[in-house]
Amino acid sequence: MNNEENNCLAHRQHVKYFMRFLNVLPSSLSSHDTTRVTIAYFSVVGLDVLGSITSMTIDMQSRIIEWIYRLQVEPNKETGDMTACGFQGSSTINMPFDSEKSQYRCGHLAMTYTGLCVLLTLGDDLSRVNRKALVEGVKALQREEGNFSATLSGCESDMRFVYCAACISYILNDWSGFDVKRATDYIINSIGYDYGIAQCPELESHGGTTFCALATLSLTNQLDKLTIEQIEGLKRWLLFRQIDGFQGRPNKPVDTCYSFWVGASLKILDALHLSNFESNKSYVYETQDCVVGGFSKWPDTCTDPMHTYLGLAGLSLIGENGLLEIVPTLNITKKAHDHMKYLHQMWETES
Amino acid sequence: MSDSGDSDVYWVPYKERPEWSDITPVPEDDGITPVVVIAHSEKFKDVYDYFRAVLQKNEKSERALHLTKDAVELNPANYTVWQYRRDLLKELDTDLRSELYYVECVIKQSPKNYQVWHHRRVLVEWLQDPSQELDLTGDTLISDPKNYHAWQHRQWAIKTFGLFDNELEFVDNLISEDVRNNSAWNQRYFVMNNHLGWSDLNVQKEICYTLEKIRFIKNNESAWNYLRGVLLHDKRGLSGNAVVLSFCEDLFKNRCHSPYLLAFIIDICDEVIKKGEASLMYGPERALELCKALADKYDKIRTKYWNYMANKFKALIDLKATY
Repeated sequence: MNNEENNCLAHRQHVKYFMRFLNVLPSSLSSHDTTRVTIAYFSVVGLDVLGSITSMTIDMQSRIIEWIYRLQVEPNKETGDMTACGFQGSSTINMPFDSEKSQYRCGHLAMTYTGLCVLLTLGDDLSRVNRKALVEGVKALQREEGNFSATLSGCESDMRFVYCAACISYILNDWSGFDVKRATDYIINSIGYDYGIAQCPELESHGGTTFCALATLSLTNQLDKLTIEQIEGLKRWLLFRQIDGFQGRPNKPVDTCYSFWVGASLKILDALHLSNFESNKSYVYETQDCVVGGFSKWPDTCTDPMHTYLGLAGLSLIGENGLLEIVPTLNITKKAHDHMKYLHQMWETES
Repeated sequence: MSDSGDSDVYWVPYKERPEWSDITPVPEDDGITPVVVIAHSEKFKDVYDYFRAVLQKNEKSERALHLTKDAVELNPANYTVWQYRRDLLKELDTDLRSELYYVECVIKQSPKNYQVWHHRRVLVEWLQDPSQELDLTGDTLISDPKNYHAWQHRQWAIKTFGLFDNELEFVDNLISEDVRNNSAWNQRYFVMNNHLGWSDLNVQKEICYTLEKIRFIKNNESAWNYLRGVLLHDKRGLSGNAVVLSFCEDLFKNRCHSPYLLAFIIDICDEVIKKGEASLMYGPERALELCKALADKYDKIRTKYWNYMANKFKALIDLKATY
């Protein structure tokens, strides 16, 4: 669909697209079985960016809220232990366990982060979130090097989960589970010789992990720990990712999702205006499916909720008409972010 | 490797297997308000109903170990299945060599899956035997030379077990095959930084190697970035290495307008200015001129960026004029 006419937003189709994903998905998506919350996140926040939260009935919205809350792992009833607390990504392992056999039922940082974002976006007041428990859950996952594992139940640790942990702490307005100093050291150690940032020290710089790192530094107010050289080097590295749309690494193909990952990184560094909006926009629209809605990573390939959401988020960053403003660090709309700020004030007065 | 559906005619559901008749399956309880529901196949439901049942009982048996294989096949991204499988392997004292072989097969089917590589890493840690990791990642990188997971695993194995000996050769082959393979250039830096070190001699050798590659293909960001990386270890910086300077000026004279070359010369100017050295060749005037050339002609996608850079140099020139 890479013709001239495809340079405007298929708004109505995208709304329908997300609504379909909120209902039933085909069995070919079984590999997403443990991460269904992220699909809910892309769809709900996607609808919000489209200004179309009200396309969902109130009943649908409350169903989503109830479903997310069911995935919250509460403290161990017998021991009071909170290290497993957080949100699960689905009900796959969400069954009752005897207290001493419950080690497999635990939260996952990416699901906790995206679950909280869904709740905020739907205007929930987070009153049923066990904030203290979630913070303890975050704390249990930080490692000596400063990075985070995703879950207690055997999993890799890298920059993605540093970011998720920072988002959770920021949303809950409680940093007692997040050692900022150690996380900052980890991030700075992961800056490469080309000034991009990698998943862990010495790996190849990557657009997605650079976003995770910069957003974390921003959420923790640590951007000033970067030297001028590092900041200017990052701007250069990020801007050099633009071909028409953006690529994630040097000499890799362009991909719709980097219009967000790289775009948001530039926004955080106050340098997005130095990129070429028109080319970026044209590329993203080349990957739009005007008929059934959705965006894909490359033109004429399969759409999916992640690329659809990130395509829209990328367009929102450059001020595309018909899209709500998003907060690049947290990756939700400004509207949802304002709601979060309001909750913080409420919590202040309560305490 | 998603749900293969119900097409397998030889498949006997767990609920029809006599040896599982003592187990009551545990269906997924998605509450009364499920959303983003996946329409799993009957096979998927059957396997996971039994998986939940053994997990809930924490049954440590051979049959449970076998069940995890079916569960992995239907969804290799289920990290709980893998964790449970590891717990079973330990409890049952299973031969970990055969497990290494098994996970290798799964990696070959799902090379971009985080959980399988994590499983592999834990096994190698348990066995303290990294002897197959270079081959495994090497094979993976042949079919996908930029696979991030494979590189991450490879770096981990090399660093943890000191397997640096032949790595430069491996990297060299990849770069020869595709001089634009940024992952390979990054690995080259990794080897130099951790193993061979940045002696003056090595810095010179790496500079020569890189310049040779740039001579071959000039518009290659990966090689230019690596050159900067090497020069971080040259006390004289970007601007003090005569070989690099004359190489760049030669390219420039021969009308090479690669943005990477011009950006490099701009950065040389910037460094010379910051050092406070007076230079006819590398002053703000030249930097400004190059920024403008990039903005107007040679790198128009980044016009705004190069104008932003140009303004910095212009401010310096204006400042100089007021004194």
